[in-house]
Amino acid sequence: MFTLPQEESRALAPCPGPASTQDLDSNYGDGLERERSRKPDRKLPELCDSTTMLSSDSSYLSSRGRVIKWFWDSAEEGYRTYHMDEYDEDKNPSGIINLGTSENKLCFDLLSRRLSQSDMLRVEPSLLQYPDWRGHLFLREEVARFLSFYCKSPTPLKPENVVVLNGCASLFSALATVLCEVGEAFLIPAPYYGAITQHVYLYGNVRLVCVYLDSEVTGLDTRPFQLTVEKLEMALQRANSEGVKVKGLILINPHNPLGDIYSPGELRDYLEFAKRHKLHVMVDEVYMLSVFEKSVAYRSVLSLEGLPDPQRTHVMWATSKDFGMSGLRFGTLYTENRDVATAVASLCRYHGLSGLVQYQMAQLLRDHDWINQVYLPENHARLKAAHSYVAGELRALGIPFLSRGAGFFIWVDLRKFLPEATFKEEMLLWRRFLDNKVLLSCGKTFECKEPGWFRLVFSDKAHRLCLGMRRVWQVLEGTSQVAEEPPSCQTEEPRSRHRHGKREEQHVKERTCPRNKQE
Amino acid sequence: MSHRSDTVHLPCGQMRGQCLGNQGIHTQPVEVMLHFKLTVEKHMVQLVTMRQQQDLVPEEQRRHPATGEQEALLDGLMYQLVNLLQSGAAGGLGLQPSCPSLDVRGVVGGGQRAQSSRQPDQPVHQRNDPEATFVSQHLSNRGIDISALFQASFQDYKLYQGDKYDEDKNTLGFINLGISENKLCLDLMTERLSQSDMNVIEDVLLQYPDWSGQPFLWEEVARFLTYYCKAPAQLDPENVVVLNGCCSVFSTLAVVLCDPGEHRCTSPSVPAHCGQVGQALLEATLTGKKVRGLILINPQNPLGDVYSRDSLKEYLEFAKRYNLHVIIDEIYMLSVFDESITFHSLLGMESLPDPNRTHVIWGTSKDFGISGFCFGVLYTQNKKVASAVSSFGYRHGISGIAQYKLYRLLRDREWIDRVYLPTYCSRLQRAHRYITKKLKALGISFLNHGSGLYVWINLKVYLDLWTFEEERLLHRRFLDNKLILSRGKTYMCKEPGWIRVVFADKPLRLKQAMHRFYQVLETQKLELRVKQLESAQCE
Repeated sequence: MFTLPQEESRALAPCPGPASTQDLDSNYGDGLERERSRKPDRKLPELCDSTTMLSSDSSYLSSRGRVIKWFWDSAEEGYRTYHMDEYDEDKNPSGIINLGTSENKLCFDLLSRRLSQSDMLRVEPSLLQYPDWRGHLFLREEVARFLSFYCKSPTPLKPENVVVLNGCASLFSALATVLCEVGEAFLIPAPYYGAITQHVYLYGNVRLVCVYLDSEVTGLDTRPFQLTVEKLEMALQRANSEGVKVKGLILINPHNPLGDIYSPGELRDYLEFAKRHKLHVMVDEVYMLSVFEKSVAYRSVLSLEGLPDPQRTHVMWATSKDFGMSGLRFGTLYTENRDVATAVASLCRYHGLSGLVQYQMAQLLRDHDWINQVYLPENHARLKAAHSYVAGELRALGIPFLSRGAGFFIWVDLRKFLPEATFKEEMLLWRRFLDNKVLLSCGKTFECKEPGWFRLVFSDKAHRLCLGMRRVWQVLEGTSQVAEEPPSCQTEEPRSRHRHGKREEQHVKERTCPRNKQE
Repeated sequence: MSHRSDTVHLPCGQMRGQCLGNQGIHTQPVEVMLHFKLTVEKHMVQLVTMRQQQDLVPEEQRRHPATGEQEALLDGLMYQLVNLLQSGAAGGLGLQPSCPSLDVRGVVGGGQRAQSSRQPDQPVHQRNDPEATFVSQHLSNRGIDISALFQASFQDYKLYQGDKYDEDKNTLGFINLGISENKLCLDLMTERLSQSDMNVIEDVLLQYPDWSGQPFLWEEVARFLTYYCKAPAQLDPENVVVLNGCCSVFSTLAVVLCDPGEHRCTSPSVPAHCGQVGQALLEATLTGKKVRGLILINPQNPLGDVYSRDSLKEYLEFAKRYNLHVIIDEIYMLSVFDESITFHSLLGMESLPDPNRTHVIWGTSKDFGISGFCFGVLYTQNKKVASAVSSFGYRHGISGIAQYKLYRLLRDREWIDRVYLPTYCSRLQRAHRYITKKLKALGISFLNHGSGLYVWINLKVYLDLWTFEEERLLHRRFLDNKLILSRGKTYMCKEPGWIRVVFADKPLRLKQAMHRFYQVLETQKLELRVKQLESAQCE
């Protein structure tokens, strides 16, 4: 549970005091910008240091400008390092392989071909002029049809409930602004896709209250990191008792980073919980078509008959993940609440996307033949192959992991590789991966409260993936040739592994068995 | 709806002021306070004059600055206190100093030039009206305000969207000369953008980009600006940030440069000189506002004016003296159609007084008439500002595909120089000639100094009373006659009766629009005469 200092107080103070430093650090542990992996243990004190924070140079920025820049600079470390030394098969074979960014790099060939077809190339004067800020009507109609079909909605969805903008980041930020006052909060089950922290905070000044989930299966839980209504209730109560006003609940389904999905029953329970407390529910379904395991029965919230509180249920989707086009910047909101739709549309002037791209998106989304017969089967087959490979490797290494057949990543349990269960050790391990030229995302980035979890993205081309896995393996085996590795680590590593060896064996079994039952 | 205006976060002084106006009035204390206020004001005016004189004295010889500052602070506090007490007790008397929050234009209004006529006074009435449609139990206060502002700004635009004039299909539809949109060259742009070089899809365009834009686009933008702004040296691609439109650039700059409640001076709707800007700053400081920057628009919107090199320099020097950031919006830089006028871009200056506080904005919406592309550029030498703005790129990113097309467009110098710009310029000239001829024939005075897409016309003589309410009614009348124009109030113009008319439209539509314009004014004239006659008969 965090207590972010009031924006006002921070804005007035030229530099956050020690107390607020602590707060910022714990909350913002890792506001990931690009969802790239990054260094987890950034310290605000550095920023607070008189030489940087208060230098005359920084005086160009406002206090919130400095906070923003701090977010950026610190969140970017992993990505910057990667960017300067990107792996290339021919030109830079010893460069960094990025298994940290959740991006689907498996289907560029299909997409390039489809987007280059002649129906995509239309240019019309109306596309070059100021649009309706909700998005062109032709696109909203197409989105409504698309979501009706792929979310299996009981009745056709309506174009007037659709708002189109340049990606889900913008959407989170806009929703936070129009639903909450400054300093109010949303509940979110943790671990979660950490960039949301920034999305809701940077413009909206809205905080997140974590519903912390455990990897241990206890009580009535049937699987690790299970979200239950009791946990939601407790987190809400705690927030209330600390004087934090909670306005909504964020659900990510399929889940990032767990790769898990909520059953229709669970989904309904969470929605009922929200209704009881008059909370808005934002359901991020950005991975809804990336469920590659056929046995997994994913259900969109839009497929539910009779939503408990339709006026407070807002669904988000985008093409970044399901169509592997994060660079396209297309996201959409579906809400029956006209006020919310209008308020979000009011901000669309700052989150608009090009008319020509809107046209292309409409063409893409309407081509159900291509999507059903070409794209989805191929995409799922490639995702599944990549997943099986990585899962197989991890099993061979005796490393426990979670993944239920959705998303681009596996949530890997590397706790046994930490000499001590601390985030400092987690970061050291993260850095050793990076030193060995493979970028991963560590659990701290996702506000996971147990140190030692990593998210490993597998949706990359085979040669990069194999090489990446080899590098991961090298680090874990301790055979890596990293010069800077401190000698103490080398001695501690085998000892700690020896110490935990037995327990971990069992741990693997515990972890894989319940999942097998479920599947 | 509950009365929550005191917590409204959206900077909208007008809304707040009027909301308070509903409360009861207690005459006795009001009189006392009024007296107190007048005394304070008198003192303030003296102080202002004193400080102005002091400004002329070189800094070293001035009175101890701390004393002056403390004095000002004290006065500011007193002033605020008086206003607070008074507005609480008697807001309805309209005694508050009129201080429309500049943030509205600076932040939200960054794109206001793009929109149809906005009526800032409207949301207030609607907010207080319990039946107002957009007051929602689901939205936060700021959400309500954002919606209200939007609905007020876009009401006309929405009408227009649903009932657009079309010479064949809808001859009775709305003609929009309110939005500053360049509709003169859509044929050229459509043709150019349809060429095959535009349609490249590469992996890199579909992946997460660098949030400040694709490197190939920065480089092209830097080259483009170097050439068209006549920069003395090659501009550095590292200083370029591209976002989805100039609204976004304004909004992000406001966030990274100012803290909530701080202000920026905007160049007002009448030609200003340094003294006036200085005065505005002084007044702002004295009323307890913290001013962080100065916004300049060059070529000017709505005046169609171009700043001379000297006055530009003067503004920059002024800003430097007060450590103010200067944000200069040069979005109409290629829309200077009077050949006798030379536009001086800030980037063309040999040396900037305070390069780390100078930020230039440009976009393709106006000069290339592709507002639907949502493309804005920031050029700043200040790396910290660039990186802080970039960190917002996530929320204001442009599609890789659009970035590629823009790159192809901007690099096609030959087409721009030989085909596009000459055609654009001659079409602008023709449209401008046409509209000014019509206005002259009607005996209407106007301002335009050879740039931009609009003329700033004075319809004062058509107002019954010289008030903004009358201006609004006249504007309404145009609207009823299916003609959208923007009124002076939208531009914070102090004098009622000014209207901005956009002329960058097809000849046929322009002709039809001017016909409607003429009809409205004729009716208005007739009614005025009847009224005058009636009142004369009464006496």
